[in-house]
Amino acid sequence: MTNDELSGLLARVALRDRAAFEQVYRATCAHLLGIAFRILNQRERAEEALQESFLSVWHNAGGFRPSVASPMTWLINIVRNKAIDALRSGRTERGLTGTLDDDALQVAADASQQPQQLLDESLIRLKIDACMADLAGQERQALALAYYRGMVHTEIAQALNAPLGTAKAWVRRGLNKLKRCLESVGVQSS
Amino acid sequence: MNYLLPERLDRLAREYALGTLAGAARRRFERVLQQSPAATLAVGIWQERLALLAESVPAMQPRASLWQNLERRLFAPGRPAAPASESPFARLARLLSGRLLGGALAGALMCALVLRTQPGLVGLETRVDVLPASYVGLLTDSAGKPAVLASSRRQGRVLTVKMLQPISVPAGQVAELWALPKDGAPAFPVGVVPVSASATIALADTSDKLFFNVARLAVSLEPAPAKPGDAPSGPFVLSGHCVKLW
Repeated sequence: MTNDELSGLLARVALRDRAAFEQVYRATCAHLLGIAFRILNQRERAEEALQESFLSVWHNAGGFRPSVASPMTWLINIVRNKAIDALRSGRTERGLTGTLDDDALQVAADASQQPQQLLDESLIRLKIDACMADLAGQERQALALAYYRGMVHTEIAQALNAPLGTAKAWVRRGLNKLKRCLESVGVQSS
Repeated sequence: MNYLLPERLDRLAREYALGTLAGAARRRFERVLQQSPAATLAVGIWQERLALLAESVPAMQPRASLWQNLERRLFAPGRPAAPASESPFARLARLLSGRLLGGALAGALMCALVLRTQPGLVGLETRVDVLPASYVGLLTDSAGKPAVLASSRRQGRVLTVKMLQPISVPAGQVAELWALPKDGAPAFPVGVVPVSASATIALADTSDKLFFNVARLAVSLEPAPAKPGDAPSGPFVLSGHCVKLW
């Protein structure tokens, strides 16, 4: 589905068009659940976050402006925010209660490697892997943990066994480099 | 703290978009985002960049029960499909709608009469009774029947639209609201209006900047939501005056 088609459907959702809402859901739910799952690491909680996200889509589709964001970016932001909120509100109980399902065990097995792989694949796809290769491995890893796992600076510092200030600097350098590399290949953010 | 110093804003925007801005700082910045177009824009640019990283995430099919739950929560009988929260303007619009409009006008006339004859009562007016400085538009159909009430605070960045009667929009089309400047400059698109109930439309700038010079509002049927620079492709099905309420 193209961006224009998705924008058109979201405009219909703002008009309370249920059929358009279902089309948006069918076209995007699998991709969006994947994103929520990387952050929450549990299918149940990821599906909850996705459900909350689509409630928000139904109520707030009128706030989507195609001139400001692409429809997929708009949807991804809603889902990432819901997943990150759920992650942070449930952090104290995580690991103590709840059962890990098969999907989660699979992620847990390579938890430290996977975000890095996802980032590398993205960079190749965007043709900026060579440009981003200037960054130290830890800088790329810090960026990957923050984006794909929703980690905050203290967690990144812990995961990569580095002082907090260093972890913050890695994330900052990762983002700045990403910005420059995207600009160098002419990927314009609208 | 001034959130809008360029360097600080960029730092907060990228950390918010990435998610590393957490806790109370995240909540505070979310409030800034509601007020500041500069902050929204800065965050939007980073979100657009970062969304490119999401394409490599493997898809995962939700269970069928998820869609069923959504349908039940949104569309089950007894749960209206209207937005959960209603703005003060939507409430005002609801109060002014339909048959009540006549009553309200009669009431206003009565008030005016009483105040003319007993000016001393003016002092009784409390602050909360005063409508805030706003732009208001009342659009009518070709028969002169009120169809849409649009209102926005003078410095606000959302327009509340209340449909006073449902309008029929053919499938595949949207009802686009246009602003028509006084000086005869071309109409510019404001946003898509709902077919019934009410909605809020995010504005590209503050009302005062957008509507200061606008004399009329109108609705046309368009094949897709209009983008800045577009012109109406068909006739206006609804139109009315846009006035300043202060």
